[in-house]
Amino acid sequence: MTVLERTRAPKTTRRSGTRRGPSPLGSKWTPYLFLAPAALFILVFQAVPLAQEVYLSFTRTTLLNPTRSQWVGLDNYDRIFGDPDFRHTLLITFVYVIACVVGAVGSGLVVALLLNKGFRGRGVARALVTVPWAAPGIAVALIATWMLNAQYGIVNRFLDAVGLGVPGGAILDSPRYALPAVLATTIWQLFPFTSVVLLSALQAVPQDLNEAATVDGAGRWATFRAVTWQVIKPTVGLLAVLMTIWSLRRFELIWLMTKGGPVGATETLVIDLYSQAFDSKELGSAAAIGMVGVVISLIVITGSRLVARAVEKEDVR
Amino acid sequence: MSRNRTRLGIAGATALGLVAALLTGCGSDGDAGGGVTKLTFAASTFGDPGRGPKLTAWLDEFNKSQDKVQVSAAAVPYPTFGQTVLTQMGSGQGPDLVRFDMPEFEAAADAGLIAPLDKLVDVSKYDLIKQPDQFMVHDGVRHGIIFEASNYAMFYNADLIPTPPTTYDQFFSTAKSLTKGDVYGLAFRQTEAEEAGVWQDIFNYVYGFGGAWSDGKNLTINSPENLKGLQAYKDLYDANVIPRGADAATFRRMFAEGKVGMELNNGGYVTATRGQNPNLKFSVAPIPFPVRKQGAILAPIVINEASEAKEEAATFIRWALEPQNQIKLQEILGASSVATTTQRSAEALEETPFLTVFDELTESSLPQIVLGFEAKTPDIRKVVVQNVIAALQGKVDLKSALDRAQQQATELVS
Repeated sequence: MTVLERTRAPKTTRRSGTRRGPSPLGSKWTPYLFLAPAALFILVFQAVPLAQEVYLSFTRTTLLNPTRSQWVGLDNYDRIFGDPDFRHTLLITFVYVIACVVGAVGSGLVVALLLNKGFRGRGVARALVTVPWAAPGIAVALIATWMLNAQYGIVNRFLDAVGLGVPGGAILDSPRYALPAVLATTIWQLFPFTSVVLLSALQAVPQDLNEAATVDGAGRWATFRAVTWQVIKPTVGLLAVLMTIWSLRRFELIWLMTKGGPVGATETLVIDLYSQAFDSKELGSAAAIGMVGVVISLIVITGSRLVARAVEKEDVR
Repeated sequence: MSRNRTRLGIAGATALGLVAALLTGCGSDGDAGGGVTKLTFAASTFGDPGRGPKLTAWLDEFNKSQDKVQVSAAAVPYPTFGQTVLTQMGSGQGPDLVRFDMPEFEAAADAGLIAPLDKLVDVSKYDLIKQPDQFMVHDGVRHGIIFEASNYAMFYNADLIPTPPTTYDQFFSTAKSLTKGDVYGLAFRQTEAEEAGVWQDIFNYVYGFGGAWSDGKNLTINSPENLKGLQAYKDLYDANVIPRGADAATFRRMFAEGKVGMELNNGGYVTATRGQNPNLKFSVAPIPFPVRKQGAILAPIVINEASEAKEEAATFIRWALEPQNQIKLQEILGASSVATTTQRSAEALEETPFLTVFDELTESSLPQIVLGFEAKTPDIRKVVVQNVIAALQGKVDLKSALDRAQQQATELVS
């Protein structure tokens, strides 16, 4: 309503001007009309499916007969939480998300700091860094799979040459090496985004503060901690939240590289959800797994908001 | 003010109407004009490099012979075929005609997604091959007609292996002696990404060593015979005589290029192998395991229960069953059999002398389903394959893996 009041023309002008019919833009319903398409979109494509998923999670519904569902209460939740494989999936999800956030933000920060320095060819380097982010996820997954191929993959050949070859050669089929390989590919694709965002944040750091710190005798690390970090901290926080949510939702890269295998070594929540829905054809269990994902995402968002608020209060003090 | 409200109301209603039209404006295309019914026939074989184009040409012959029905091919890749088509059919959509593999066929028949054929196709008119055809009928109701029946045998590179092995020990030692540099003695599927393919491969080891997935009433996944067969499979994996991590598409190309000495494969791949390398000198022999029992790819053609043109779809099946069309289909499919008994031509036998090897295996070949638990086969398959791969990867010993699979699968079917 405040916005509405502000956008209204002063009454005096209207009185003094030519007499016209009331403008529809001046109505109290105008904001609602503008909001309606977005609200309708969210209602139809977000709220209704979410409500349907909540309902599905309390039913036994199969993919082969989705219209015939049977209400089973909390059975699906009971079953998934009682399943040690699901607990393993949660652990893998946790490891994957944390590693992605730390890896992508950490490597992005290092690259951003390097790109923030003056050197010959900096423009070209900045452009090249964005390439992995611009590449489609499916292409990245297929290239990575080919590079890691046991027979022809360049990574395997290199590891063999330096005496670090995986026994049998099949990195993506090894429960020990599959997750690190998927993580390396994910981080390779993500770090350009974090580095570009952090680079723009770094460019907002006042140079005079850095110079003042140097004059005061602060070393590089102390300057970074006292000046640079304070400026880029909110950006890092935002990136961490974004990376967490994106990593929780990431499907195509993991699915194309390993399908969650071998032996569940790369099975995250979304992969498990997909397997339940389309391999096991159990839509009810899949919906329950989806709800667990929704709850985790909500916890992450709420937690990050609380942390951000606490940090803001700390800064004000 | 009331005029203003009216304008706003009209604008709002128009906006809502536009959104509603956008949301609902994806109606079905229905039948084509001119009284011609257009049908879709989904099969993974349409995408085969060797057979796909020939099958499409075979469909064209049907289309030329009809003025009221037209069938178009829908090639869905094999690894995702069952999942894609079953998802469509479960929601009341999907192709009119489908060429299924047995596990998906059983699941779809059990869920009522396949139209009964008894009233649509009079099978008494045709000389159907009994062994594979018996699996097309459930509780007295016919759900499919065999489109392709393909027995498993041992493909071997005749340049590398002048005399094929006839025992498992010979098989093992041949694989081992051939493996050198970038040449492997053997190849089979061993990754979770190829679950359906691993199931097809281990089926030969289980049944070839006297085992079975069930006795018809109870699951027998962890029986001593199964353990023996799967131990043989694991021994070959552990011996590093296979290109580990290579998927079927990769190792079949390697076989065609002379980089793999042997593989257990079905007759359907004779044409595809020749298509990849016409100069490859290869032959086929029965799988050299202790018991002469092996898997067979039985691929029924079915009519989608949700199809609005069942009678027209049956027209196509009746056309396909006519003797001259069965012979043409047989020639396209190569070493596979079709629904009816057909005579192989002298030219075909001269070109591919080992066709008789496949034909002689028909009586000892079994569809890759769990007898007595047919509709649950995809679920049991997932459990078994996951546990066997866990044993291959050294996460658990094979016996414990099979015990776990037995327990999990029993819970699934109970």
